Amino acid sequence: MVVTKSKKIVIYTSIVIVFLGMLSLYFFWNPSNHAFFPKCPFYAFTGIFCPGCGSQRAIHKLINGEIVEGIRHNYLILLLFIVLGYQSILFLLNKFTSTTYKNLTHKPITTKVILVIVILFWILRNISVVPFTELAP
Amino acid sequence: MEQKPTRPNSYLALAIISTILCCLPSGIVSIIYATKVNSLYEDGKYDEAVRASKNAKTWGIVSVVIALVGWLLYILIFGVAMLGAIANGGY
Repeated sequence: MVVTKSKKIVIYTSIVIVFLGMLSLYFFWNPSNHAFFPKCPFYAFTGIFCPGCGSQRAIHKLINGEIVEGIRHNYLILLLFIVLGYQSILFLLNKFTSTTYKNLTHKPITTKVILVIVILFWILRNISVVPFTELAP
Repeated sequence: MEQKPTRPNSYLALAIISTILCCLPSGIVSIIYATKVNSLYEDGKYDEAVRASKNAKTWGIVSVVIALVGWLLYILIFGVAMLGAIANGGY
């Protein structure tokens, strides 16, 4: 048990270090202006935007405080924050209050809706007609 | 009354992270497995739900790791090349 515990600590520490390193890279450099940021491989091969396109620019804008600009690069970032925020608030509520709240993300309908949202987002952001161009990265 | 086994983790957050940050449609596969975990569990197919949960975890972790390694390689190769160019005064 002791070995697995110290191993876990090493793994988590290195994840945090890598994560902070990446964040600082995205904080100081704008991916639009520098060639050393990787381009989306899916977009490079197919010329089609994937659901993740624009997330590097979005992260750069978000951690520099330009929340709206960041979200406009990739609206799915918003979905990620909603789900993560919801899960963490629920976790804290269930841990520190006596009532147990039902987790909506355990409902089959929730995950299905998220799947549909992601696939719709993927299709719509590739349509270059006016209302949908907003979704493009 | 029959006792329900504990709900297997659907790894939904991991699936969304791999979809958004990894530029690999394999994130979609993770979301599909996350969906399966929930519906199989609700249907009482607990063993299959556990299997779907393991698949969701594997797909999520694999796509995150592939993206991370690819990202690091890219940054390293281009970072070193650019540093070299700067050092030579060519940039």
